[in-house]
Amino acid sequence: MTGSPRRSPRIERALALAAIVAGGLAVVAGTPTRGARGNVDVDRLARIVEQEEDHVTAVELARWIRDDKAGLRVLDVRSDSEYAELHIPGAVRMALGEIARMPLDSTATYVLYSEGGTHAAQAWFLLKARGVQRAFFLRGGLYEWLEQVMSPRVTANTPQVTRDSIRALTIWFGGKMQVVDSTTGGGPGGTVPSVLDGRLPAPHAADTRTEIRKIRRRAC
Amino acid sequence: MAPLFEFGRFGDGTSLVIAVLLGIAFGWFLERGGMGNARKLAGQFYFTDLSVLKLMFSAILTAMLGLFWLSWAGLLDLSRVYVPETFVAPQLVGGLVFGVGFATGGLCPGTSCVAAATGRRDGFALIAGMLTGVFVFGEAFPALASFADSTARGAWTLPQALGLSYGTVVGIIVAVALGAFAGAERLERRVERPAHAGLNGAV
Repeated sequence: MTGSPRRSPRIERALALAAIVAGGLAVVAGTPTRGARGNVDVDRLARIVEQEEDHVTAVELARWIRDDKAGLRVLDVRSDSEYAELHIPGAVRMALGEIARMPLDSTATYVLYSEGGTHAAQAWFLLKARGVQRAFFLRGGLYEWLEQVMSPRVTANTPQVTRDSIRALTIWFGGKMQVVDSTTGGGPGGTVPSVLDGRLPAPHAADTRTEIRKIRRRAC
Repeated sequence: MAPLFEFGRFGDGTSLVIAVLLGIAFGWFLERGGMGNARKLAGQFYFTDLSVLKLMFSAILTAMLGLFWLSWAGLLDLSRVYVPETFVAPQLVGGLVFGVGFATGGLCPGTSCVAAATGRRDGFALIAGMLTGVFVFGEAFPALASFADSTARGAWTLPQALGLSYGTVVGIIVAVALGAFAGAERLERRVERPAHAGLNGAV
């Protein structure tokens, strides 16, 4: 030894090589956290929500299902028992935790629904944060589906063409269209507007509906 | 899942015991690497001995690659690893003060403790200086607070600052470190060694 520190060139070279391999592979590996981490462009999301491109109506969804839209995947984010009791035809049950981790199909169109709309909207954010382009939720949830697709109500003065198309869609899904008296409150276009909860007792329903419509006009 | 403390695998008491053990190991290996010797550290600034540079980059590479691959394998949650916050201007000034102290005294805070532990008097002097500085800063803090809190960037990491993926930054740092190792070796060979060359191992 000539006074210089004890060195072992072979070990140094091996360590350098290990660093090169581990560092080089890291470049390919990209981001160390897998799956669960998303990145949100908040401005873009806010725009999508403002322009109402974040949701579909029950009737649109029904048409997509009937017409066998390519890549359509309907996800039910309610509990297993609720799903077993009743769900939209073709829907797959998927908990929020699974939505955060499930493998994604970039060509698919995802439609999410829950009982009302909240959980589906939250799941929608998860999918958006994971970079899904085509994701929508059913704003009125399963209630909207039941009211607008399974048992829609039309008034006597609804145009025949509209009535026929609604009836056709409803029958396709095994539902039943009702014709109601126009004095009980037909909405614009002749259809009865959706109520948030169809299980309200009948005498109050008309008042609640008017109230909701008023609130909607003010707030939205 | 690591960090074990963050996930409640042990409590505050155990974590303090572990910290003491890690601290002792840290000091022990610094001392064994000759880092308690102010002259060896000062060699840095004369390009005669770049051990500190090599030691720092070795530590960075080891920790970085370990954290990256553990996280990639799902054994570590990187978001739960503490990242000190960045305050650009105050930390630039602090870095300059630190550098002046380091170049003057020949030891940094950690190595001054190592030096003192082996009975070196310059180590004790630097610890006294460090504690005095901490005390003065603490007393003067109300006056300095607005500057100390300025240009805050939060927990700011290189991938965020550069807009690159973690893996790319890891690859770049590995390349920079290996380049620094090779450059340091060449520089050490080129610069003439003053009289204290070969001091390693001597007290």
